[in-house]
Amino acid sequence: MKGQRRVIVPSPTAQTDLTPTLENVIAAVRSHHSDADAGLLERAYAEASIWHTGQRRHSGDPYITHCLAVAAIVADLRMPLPVVCAALLHDVDDTACPPQRIADQFGKEVADLIAAVRTAVVSAYPQAGRGTAPRSAAACPSREMAVLAIRLADRLHNMRTIAFVAPAKQLLKARETLDVFAPVASAAGLETVGRELQDLASAVLQPAPSSYAVSGWLLTALTLLLPSGHRARWQEEWSADLAAYATRRARTRFTLRVLLGAPRLSMTLRSPFCRERR
Amino acid sequence: MGMPRMTLQTQLVLRALLEAPAKQRYGLELCELAGLPSGTIYPILARLEQVGWLDSSWEDPTVHEAAGRPRRRFYRITQNGAEQARDALARAYRSRKQPLPGWAAAHPAAGGGAS
Repeated sequence: MKGQRRVIVPSPTAQTDLTPTLENVIAAVRSHHSDADAGLLERAYAEASIWHTGQRRHSGDPYITHCLAVAAIVADLRMPLPVVCAALLHDVDDTACPPQRIADQFGKEVADLIAAVRTAVVSAYPQAGRGTAPRSAAACPSREMAVLAIRLADRLHNMRTIAFVAPAKQLLKARETLDVFAPVASAAGLETVGRELQDLASAVLQPAPSSYAVSGWLLTALTLLLPSGHRARWQEEWSADLAAYATRRARTRFTLRVLLGAPRLSMTLRSPFCRERR
Repeated sequence: MGMPRMTLQTQLVLRALLEAPAKQRYGLELCELAGLPSGTIYPILARLEQVGWLDSSWEDPTVHEAAGRPRRRFYRITQNGAEQARDALARAYRSRKQPLPGWAAAHPAAGGGAS
């Protein structure tokens, strides 16, 4: 068994490529708050995993990947532990989770945050242009700031994965992101978030030449032929290669050839040796 | 399990990779180097990566952000992959030469051996 040759060693970057892991989130929280209790995050993650079991994102990824991604963004914004927990659990209200349960398990602060995230009206926050908002969110953000951070992180991850959403809804979300979320983020001192939101939304609203949109859309549709865990990667890889073509004709040709190869790619990815790579 | 099918296209891709084994290449670039039609290379890359001959990773954000384009997926041949690819290419080359035209006609029962 052993002697022959090295087979499939997951590269160190393979894990972090698509979705952050719980370890990434813990590390991010710890890097800003060294005394943070990792146990609480682990419990919040376990709780979210239970209630979101079986739910999927439009991309086909398990729903929990969204919770982790939002928590990671919030942690990167230096938010303290309860806020990151609330981020992990921010969508459990949509599940069969009993209303009182989060408060019982994680305390009133986390439960209140989640409730506030659901009811917060982002357009009511100050928007870019008048800079009266609290600047840094660091150690002890106001509750308003914490709620906003979760809402923005939620939108940011949704925009990062918007390729899988129906085109009409994409436009609606992108418009709202550009008009409301991005300016609010910038006004709150979260410039990086604001800028990324703006870029993502602009890309949806004004995709370069018209056929680029068609080819890009078709490529996204093609990923549905692939096993769910692999879709995001290939969608991104194909779009990057597609973007290198200058003419509409070349892009169409490229897309058709990807289409022809998709069944074989799908078969390859579904074969049992592909488990470890994403 | 450990061997990709050595189709002509696969051989072209491997040859292109072996020209500069340390270099990272993205799909489109490889396609051009190998002289394959655009867009046809992905199943081959996936298979080679699956058997451990290739490694892939996303482009460094500082590079693609500076260039203002989406990030690319880069491939590089692994050390083990390079060794095996050289072997496999040599074998494929030999086997292509094997059934000499006259020989195959004279011994129809033995025809082929192609795999």
